[in-house]
Amino acid sequence: MLREKIEKHLLEVQKPSRYIGGEVGSIIKDKSVIDVRFAFCFPDTYDIGMSHLGMKILYSLTNERENYWCERCFAPGEDFEAIMRENDIPLYALESLDPIRDFDFIGFTMQYELSYTNVLNMLDLAGIPVFAKDRTDELTQIVIAGGPCVCNPEPLADFFDIFVLGEGEEVNLELMDLYTKMKKEGASKTDYLRKAAQIEGVYVPRFYCFKYKSDGTIEKLEVSDGAPKIIRKRIIKDFDKVYYPENFVVPFTEIVQDRVSVEVLRGCIRGCRFCQAGFIYRPFREKHTETISREVKALCENTGYDEVSLASLSTSDHSEIDPMLTKLLDYTVSERINLSLPSLRVDNFSEELLEKIKRVRKSGLTFAAEGGTQRLRDVINKNVSEEEIMNTCRIAFEGGYSAVKLYFMMGLPTETDEDIVGIAELANRIIDLYYSIENRPKGRGVQISISCATFVPKPFTPFQFEPQDTREMIEHKQKLLLDSVKTKKIKVSYHNPDVSMLEAILAKGDRRLCKVVYTAWKKGCKFDSWEEHFHFDKWLEAFKECGIDTSFYANRRFEYDEILPWDHFDYLVTKEFLIRENKTAHQSKTTPNCRLRCSGCGVNKKVGRECF
Amino acid sequence: MIRVRATFEKCGRAKYISHLDLNRCMLRTFRRSRLPIWYTEGFNPHPYYSFALALSLGFESSCEILDFNLNEELPFDEIKDKLNAVMPEGMRIVKVAEQKQKITAIAKAEYSFSLVSDEADGLFEAVQELIASPEILIEKKTKKGIKTVDIKPDMEILSCTKGEKSVDVTMYLPAGTQTNYNPTLFIEALRRAADISFEPCNIRRTAILCEDNLVFE
Repeated sequence: MLREKIEKHLLEVQKPSRYIGGEVGSIIKDKSVIDVRFAFCFPDTYDIGMSHLGMKILYSLTNERENYWCERCFAPGEDFEAIMRENDIPLYALESLDPIRDFDFIGFTMQYELSYTNVLNMLDLAGIPVFAKDRTDELTQIVIAGGPCVCNPEPLADFFDIFVLGEGEEVNLELMDLYTKMKKEGASKTDYLRKAAQIEGVYVPRFYCFKYKSDGTIEKLEVSDGAPKIIRKRIIKDFDKVYYPENFVVPFTEIVQDRVSVEVLRGCIRGCRFCQAGFIYRPFREKHTETISREVKALCENTGYDEVSLASLSTSDHSEIDPMLTKLLDYTVSERINLSLPSLRVDNFSEELLEKIKRVRKSGLTFAAEGGTQRLRDVINKNVSEEEIMNTCRIAFEGGYSAVKLYFMMGLPTETDEDIVGIAELANRIIDLYYSIENRPKGRGVQISISCATFVPKPFTPFQFEPQDTREMIEHKQKLLLDSVKTKKIKVSYHNPDVSMLEAILAKGDRRLCKVVYTAWKKGCKFDSWEEHFHFDKWLEAFKECGIDTSFYANRRFEYDEILPWDHFDYLVTKEFLIRENKTAHQSKTTPNCRLRCSGCGVNKKVGRECF
Repeated sequence: MIRVRATFEKCGRAKYISHLDLNRCMLRTFRRSRLPIWYTEGFNPHPYYSFALALSLGFESSCEILDFNLNEELPFDEIKDKLNAVMPEGMRIVKVAEQKQKITAIAKAEYSFSLVSDEADGLFEAVQELIASPEILIEKKTKKGIKTVDIKPDMEILSCTKGEKSVDVTMYLPAGTQTNYNPTLFIEALRRAADISFEPCNIRRTAILCEDNLVFE
């Protein structure tokens, strides 16, 4: 039925294999014996969503349970969406090709703020009312979300029934178990949500009501229906033993991350003060070399991929990195598999490590220096000295590399013009270094690429209180940087500041932004993270119509004693620690990494063990 | 090194796998099968395999040809079973054998398709008329631009029957290294010639043949 309708138009669209399923590794079940049907939705296209590791983990994990069936669903491209709307094809899941509106759970993973409008568009395409209050109270169609963005889900609160805080491997199944039980008892959705709110890590936004002061800040949060005042995120205690899939769905069409990916560690020891991932994924936990090696082998054999990537926030911080790479390379080289290692840090980049990487690839090297001067790098706690950057570049140049890509941020707290000029000066010194090296690559010039992102303050970081630079300030700094670069050996690129501003607003926003997200979507905003689909003018209209001042969220300093929209969440790191770190930043002082010294972020106390 | 020729089906959902994607898909299928595939030598070793003919996106086939090399001799049935155990839905190896003929021996392919219409009678007449016309001119995109060609001399109608709501056609069209005609060329010519709305369905390649109409092996 639906399949016929879909197939009738499939050859009219780009890359049709994205819309019909049937990939190797996809899981088909007999729906007559299923208790819970879960539509795992990624609010972007197939090519992007299929690359997401969390989906692969939760997909396989849920399907291990005989009576639960997890299927995949993505945002259709513009061409197919038009066909779907024109021909009454509701959004469907790729395994059964059944409409997701008939599912028990419709789960979204919220990976970036600019995917918010896609959630509304997908619900609408599915024929599901976008506002939670407009949906049935029968126990069905639970719209749920997880992922990093739900550490402040308020700008999405009106659209969801449940947010899951932290790691989903256990809590998702607990929610489905409760659902199965209550469905059999004939409970209503409200009954279910009341019970679900008692599970650790589960936030049911409808039981929480914000009151605001006349200056626009939050006065208090009222909690009803016996829901907890503070919701603590979930973590997996024994990460080495956590479920990991032995198989991935292998797409036909090329996707962004088209390879086996194995998670080697979770959390980060570094504490870079701008980095949300570095705080919300604490505590730091590793998998053993044996576990990683076994998972790599199983996945390569079952999927047939000939490329593996190690996933983590900072792979070189793994305590067994050298023996691990040796073991993995023994296997991958003999099986003609490429091993790639993203997320390497400048400061512990050894010659041996470079030798190992060179055995598998010889592309460019990328380093995140983030700040142009030592003072600024100290402010953001990027514990990297110029000496280390130079040393790493020297090793790289002597090892045959002639191109280096450097990531920087612009608009960081306390940043001055001097710091911006410092970016160009640092690049110049790297060029000088290159030509001072005798055994540099012969006959090749050096190429330094500078990529500048605009700083976005994020919840649960020491910089959550910080205002973002205004557009004028960013434009001034961009021009200054371009004027400071006087050689063609340096290439500069930077992000659109409007995009970063919208990110800041949505990241730090409160529940009053739900109507802005809705209005922007109604005006046609979707795929906001795609340059060609980003319409900032429509967003500005939406803010204006809703009476929302963008600078209140983006350009205002949030006070230490202010109630923040995410203060009722416990991500294990304490607010006191974040305030302390913010103050230390303004003194341009660094904090050592967790391995060197515990700085008392609060995580170990709550988890009940020392991190190291 | 052992040269092997597999014949496979590509049906159902697998018809949406493009030719480019099919390449990647086969590479992974070989790896999953753990067959001792022969790798090319040189700077960038890769498993050697090649498809005799490309199949258009959306076409089904019961007769696709895939050539590859193995490092050791294995019973043909074992090769077939190992591949079929790890093939995607809709793709199935029907035969594994030695490579009897050279790829250049391929001269034509047999296609079948249905043209679905509410006015099957009128459409049937239009198809008959088109087949009987002295020339069928179509515009074909080539590397040098668009050129007009007459496909009539090279096509051969095997059957043309009228169903309740369709006209069902089977035909030979040239295929191989020299000239390749796609049945959509004929369908487009029909669209221009007849003022009747219809939808082409179930386009399927059913045989790959040599000049003497014998099946390519």
